[in-house]
Amino acid sequence: MLRKVREQEQTISILVNNQPGVLSRVGGVFGRHGYNIKSLCVAETTNPDVSRITLTSESDPDFTEKIKKQLDKLVDIIDVSDVSGQSYIQRELMLIGVTVKEGVYSEILRAIELFGCRIVTMTPDYFILELTGQPDETAAFLKFFQSFGVEEINRTGSIAIERTKPKRKI
Amino acid sequence: METIGADIVIQILREEGVDVIFGYPGANTLPIHDRLINSQVRHYLMRHEQAAAHAADGYARATGKVGVCIATSGPGATNLVTGIATAFMDSTPMVALTAQVSTSLLGHDAFQETDIIGITLPITKHSYQVHDVNNLAVTLRQAFELAKTGRPGPVLVDLPRDILSSKCQPAEKQAATAPKINNKAVEDHEQLEKIAKTLNQSERPILIIGGGVKLSNAFRLIRELIEKAKIPFVTTMMGIGSVDSVNGYNLGLIGTHGNELANLMVHQCDFILAIGTRFSDRSTALIEEFAPLAKIAQIDIDPTSIGKSIKINLPYVGDIRDALTALLPLVDEKEKSEWLQRIQAEREAIDDKVADTGCGQAGDFIRMVQEAMPVETTVTADVGLNQIWTVRTWQARSPRSLITSGGMGTMGFSLPAAIGAKVGTPERAVVAITGDGGFYMNIQELATISYYNLPIKIVVINNGHLGMIRQIQDLFYNARFTTIDLGSKVDFVTVARGFGIPGSRVVVDKDPTAGIEAMVKADGPYLLEAVVDPENYVYPIIPPGCSNIEMMYDRLD
Repeated sequence: MLRKVREQEQTISILVNNQPGVLSRVGGVFGRHGYNIKSLCVAETTNPDVSRITLTSESDPDFTEKIKKQLDKLVDIIDVSDVSGQSYIQRELMLIGVTVKEGVYSEILRAIELFGCRIVTMTPDYFILELTGQPDETAAFLKFFQSFGVEEINRTGSIAIERTKPKRKI
Repeated sequence: METIGADIVIQILREEGVDVIFGYPGANTLPIHDRLINSQVRHYLMRHEQAAAHAADGYARATGKVGVCIATSGPGATNLVTGIATAFMDSTPMVALTAQVSTSLLGHDAFQETDIIGITLPITKHSYQVHDVNNLAVTLRQAFELAKTGRPGPVLVDLPRDILSSKCQPAEKQAATAPKINNKAVEDHEQLEKIAKTLNQSERPILIIGGGVKLSNAFRLIRELIEKAKIPFVTTMMGIGSVDSVNGYNLGLIGTHGNELANLMVHQCDFILAIGTRFSDRSTALIEEFAPLAKIAQIDIDPTSIGKSIKINLPYVGDIRDALTALLPLVDEKEKSEWLQRIQAEREAIDDKVADTGCGQAGDFIRMVQEAMPVETTVTADVGLNQIWTVRTWQARSPRSLITSGGMGTMGFSLPAAIGAKVGTPERAVVAITGDGGFYMNIQELATISYYNLPIKIVVINNGHLGMIRQIQDLFYNARFTTIDLGSKVDFVTVARGFGIPGSRVVVDKDPTAGIEAMVKADGPYLLEAVVDPENYVYPIIPPGCSNIEMMYDRLD
């Protein structure tokens, strides 16, 4: 990779008008400033005219200044919030396909039990596992199974919800 | 005739107070152009869509109203791009209407189809594509609202052909339901009090006036502030003319092509009140060394302009007019005489040192042109040496009287912008100053000027080169001149005559008086070609990567 990779990351929740093209506009703000989006989830909220984009982006001390302020300028943006902190519950869903070689079968089964993940499909040499958890749990889960051989990953990245009842329906 | 979408477009234009649009037709615009007949909207047919956008831009800058341009789909729309980007960088209120292929053809690579929304995403304040004729009125109203509120900017509305031809009901007259503009203007009176207090207590304050003062129509208030606080001011290129240039407190233009007094005093000041400026790299030069002794207060309507490039001690987000109205009563009427005396001494020292404005004979020539023209003259400048000579020499006596592409630096802007300015303020004389390089870029607009008989004074300062590049190559690339020679075969006077415009040529160092007089006396449009030495550069100039007091006055021989 020829670009400077930032170490920090930040997860933000963006409420937007639910219309074609809005995602493009949001993505453009990040791309234009060279901040790589690491994961992104988008779906309708309680109001079908409003969607929520939850994304995790590379971050640095200029992030708020550059990204948040620029997002606020977009006409289709309703709100931008930082959901990395304690007042939010964060979850990620991860599906991985793990190769199961001879001799490690029982080790894998025990790990599955300890992590509390689900076996979605199981063949003699290939498992599809599903885990939902906080971002650090899913990260640990992935790291563990990578030592066995993960053939395919699909992860949603963080979504988040306020711990306490919001002032308005979201 | 039944009402169709195109009628709604014209109806909303009228409701928004638009009586002039600049454009070019095409297959997909035809419903609109057809319904323009006998409407109260005058359509100026330009000779290139880029010029239509620049004309709408010039019109907006000259009048303060929203400028409107129209182009067809495909190449018509893409030809608007440079003009939209130019307006975007200088925050001009503009609505660009583009026709589009019918909704059923979208995405099919149809004839003259292009994703103009996608192309202009980064250079528009916002954009819309209308898919339902019943949404047309509300969309257009929102577009106008967005173009002129908050920080103004160009808004594009893409209009598919079938929507324009769709039968519908005339739109009900109603105010725009403005889209939610996340304007985080906080009416923080306490902050204004702090700003006023710091200003009152400062010993060496300076006011920086940027383009925002003009966009907010805050001319009277800013003059009152200057007169009450007796505070010297400098301007950015976009701020020129907000206060009469001959005002005694004017120290000049700051930045990479600014004059020495302005840059020096900003460097020595202890407090900067920056109003409506975004601290662009052109104004600050090397940002790390900008105004090292100063506390900085900044008033702007756009939160992203505050603290973007330089740390602001006292930020204030809000409309400049409202802010100045609240600030004025809090400001003391005390004169900082020591500071003013120091500035005066510095001014005299500089006048002794440098014989002229650093613009050479080209500068003298421009001064002569201004003296020969009425006071109520609007000047448009292109980009390059001609631009810097103009902004440094021309005394802008009233707001909106000096128009140039600052942020984008778009060559070819001057001529079509002059068309927009003349159409917008017909009672004012208009002079379009351009270099030979920029002149070629929209030269076809001589036909537009001739066709509509717009009495624009076209001054082509011809040094046979891309002058600014030549200066840079001369000073910083060891005089390795390349790709700057435009030659001397082209006879601009004959070209103009071919377009139906009379003209003459003068050589700037051989008494151009007669040529200038002929131009001023001409009833209709007139082209004056002014031949200038290619070594006539502009000084001082700040080398790339240097602070704004590291001004160069000559080659480093």
